[in-house]
Amino acid sequence: MTGLLGPQGLSDRAQLGLGIATIIASIAVPAMTGNPYWSHTFHLVNLYIAVAVLQNMLLADAGQVSFGQGAVFGAAAYTVGIASSLHGAAYPVAAAFGLLAALALGSLYALPALRVQGYYLGFVTLSVAMVFPELLVSFNDYTNGINGITRAVPALNLALAWGLTPLSLLVIALTSAALAGHAALRRTRMGRQMRVAAVSPEAALALGFSPGHARSAAFVIAAFGTGLAGVLYVPVVGFLSPSAFHVELSIFFFFSVIVGGRGRLLGPILGVWILYLVPNVLMVDLVNYRLIGYGVVALVIMLLFPDGLVGSIENRLRRRMQKPGSADVGVQWIMAVTAAGRAKTEPAGAVPGTAPVVAVDSARKAYDQVIALDDVSLAVTRGTIHGLVGPNGSGKTTLLNVISGLTRVDRGRVSILGQDTTRLPPYRTAQLGVGRTFQTPRVFDDLSIWENLQIGADFGRDRRRADWLFAALHGVEQRWRAQRPDFLPHAQRRLLEVLRVIAMDCDVLLLDEPAAGLSPEERRDFATLLSYLRDVLGKTIILVEHDLDLVWHVADRITVLEAGAVIAEGAPDAIVRDPQVRALFTGKRDA
Amino acid sequence: MDELIIILVRGIGLGAVFSLVAMSFNVVHNSSGILNFAQGNLLVLGGLFGFFTLPQEPELVRWLLLVPTAAVFYAAVLAAQGYITLLPLRSSVEQHSWLITTLAVSVIISAVILIAQGPFALSVKSPFANFALLGTRTPTPYALAVLLAVAWYAALHWFHTGTVTGLAISAIAQDLEAAQAAGIRVRRLQILAFAISGAIVGSAGFVAAPVMSISADSGIIYVLNGFIAAVIGGLGSNAGALIGGPLVGVASMYAAFQFGGQFQNVVSLALLIGVLMVRPQGLFGRTRARRV
Repeated sequence: MTGLLGPQGLSDRAQLGLGIATIIASIAVPAMTGNPYWSHTFHLVNLYIAVAVLQNMLLADAGQVSFGQGAVFGAAAYTVGIASSLHGAAYPVAAAFGLLAALALGSLYALPALRVQGYYLGFVTLSVAMVFPELLVSFNDYTNGINGITRAVPALNLALAWGLTPLSLLVIALTSAALAGHAALRRTRMGRQMRVAAVSPEAALALGFSPGHARSAAFVIAAFGTGLAGVLYVPVVGFLSPSAFHVELSIFFFFSVIVGGRGRLLGPILGVWILYLVPNVLMVDLVNYRLIGYGVVALVIMLLFPDGLVGSIENRLRRRMQKPGSADVGVQWIMAVTAAGRAKTEPAGAVPGTAPVVAVDSARKAYDQVIALDDVSLAVTRGTIHGLVGPNGSGKTTLLNVISGLTRVDRGRVSILGQDTTRLPPYRTAQLGVGRTFQTPRVFDDLSIWENLQIGADFGRDRRRADWLFAALHGVEQRWRAQRPDFLPHAQRRLLEVLRVIAMDCDVLLLDEPAAGLSPEERRDFATLLSYLRDVLGKTIILVEHDLDLVWHVADRITVLEAGAVIAEGAPDAIVRDPQVRALFTGKRDA
Repeated sequence: MDELIIILVRGIGLGAVFSLVAMSFNVVHNSSGILNFAQGNLLVLGGLFGFFTLPQEPELVRWLLLVPTAAVFYAAVLAAQGYITLLPLRSSVEQHSWLITTLAVSVIISAVILIAQGPFALSVKSPFANFALLGTRTPTPYALAVLLAVAWYAALHWFHTGTVTGLAISAIAQDLEAAQAAGIRVRRLQILAFAISGAIVGSAGFVAAPVMSISADSGIIYVLNGFIAAVIGGLGSNAGALIGGPLVGVASMYAAFQFGGQFQNVVSLALLIGVLMVRPQGLFGRTRARRV
């Protein structure tokens, strides 16, 4: 049974197969047995599943909370109804308008997503879901108000064979495509982009793309699929009324994903089956209690099985089946791999030049009363390692953020590789060839180890420029694709992040306390790696580090910061003798 | 002219209720980063408390005694909800479970009100007569809501700056890990924050009951408007909430007057999107140092 288990438990391929089989069976079986009630019910159930699948993508992959997918669904359905029933448009024409309406509403969600995220969007979308049916009633001149719209599409209900109709085939196709699309999206650049932006927007910026764009794209994709489902709602149900698109519908979609298991392909299917079929079919007499049911089931699932039903099953499988292992990301190993790969393509690293690669000019940054950077200037020469040292709160990380563009200076100027980056969005700065690592490594446990590296190459200047690295890593590809980094020890997570920056193929590396938490031996290895990056790969490195010994050994130049100001700058030997620096570090060489 | 005065006076009164919801948001948000979606329905429950405890002709003494009773009762209810909400955060890596658990609680409360009371709004009598203001007859609960909002603002200000417990909660707001390291019993204080937010919305719902819509589907309206007030003022800032509420209230009243009641929520939504696009940190919010 190889291939059934992926890094997460049940592999995506297995879940996809099972999911599509369920979708087909749930439509085909009632059709063949000729039971119109069940046939109708499962047409609707599968449309809801399609919406929930996209909600799942939005929530689990893009990390976006939307309580308003029911409104997107309803906007498409109502537009079809208005265009075709009240204005006499043909169904396909009306369908196109419906899809446009859904995309328009999706864009309304995407717009604020450029700037804010999380619960802010939760409230925006919840408001829309609440307002939508109110508007349907208010504009009764256009929507027929509470009387609703009747619209049948007989052509779609002609029996083809075995009781199946064109409509059943469309529903099967849409829902299966949504599921397959979700599975496929995860393997694409955009899918990885969404997942990174969801977990760490600043990592996205450092990797060279805008997390806001990734979030907005997710909303638009979700609106597209949800709109198609809304378009099919009209022929499936044949009647539209504002009460069908109440805020509860949106909450139902959201809870279905949670109950089934967010991020799992089978999650939305199981969630919709449980939340829709159980109260609406099995407990028809208790239909008034449906809402309480939604609430209680979601609450209990969240408390007892936070990963949802499918997620909990998967976790059990995974615990039983996962083989322990390590990723052997060692310093020696990285050097061997990069050397082997590099030898085939480019002979040696760049020659140190004289013009500064990174230049910061009189930078000033204040947070309220606190001055984080006070007139700081810095010039870093190509092909050198430049150390930034100083006590806690002296402004080292702020300076790194200013260089990478994550923090805007109040005054002063930053230029990288000859280009003024002072006002450039951080992801654009990254695209110039600036890679960085973070104090807490941004290694993504939801991605495989291989994908964690791939995201580096995804947004580099030229994706093929990192081909040599991936070619050199060919031997471990299979294993790294199947492993998640959650078991990696701290030092290996840092090295993985460094390896990713190498995959970005950038000229300038900004490393924020890369040696924190490493053992003395690992530190020595790490110093070797830094020299190797400079000497062999020709990188320019700016290193923020608390381990002064490490900095003294590898840095070509050192800048000492205190209270946001530069107090000394020069070669390590000169810095050591500087009385001001000695005073700062006396008795605490590893401050 | 009269219409404008009515819009202004009642808008500010209604806005004070939004301010109170916003402040109750802030208390919890500052201590745990959680925004309680159920807060609007708890406000409605505060009104429901009035419906069940106040007779047709309520006397003043009884009313005065019931205000703190409502506060204490809902403080207890919210402490329980807080306990449940914080439960999954203890062990799991799932840090956003609160979005779901608080929404679930909100949905449950709505559903229970719907089943128990039906879809109609309930009315509660006020022990106070209307009062004259700028030539208009204004229901007293509007004024009381404003007074209550100012009183809670002052109380919260004193609590956060003048008491050890309040300072500890402020410390959690600034740096959770540092607060934990300093030996602050974070979980206990977070539940206390939930309880305080319950006292705020419980008393607010009770006091404003005669001018509120007490029904199964109005909780969500209050929670959204309260959130918008909090966002306009800057999430976490009680002074901002005090200003933001009346702004939302007046805009909402004006929309009702100009376009009709069914457009009140549309205007609130437009306000929310506008603020988020232009100034997501709100009027009084501060930009913080980026943590990487």
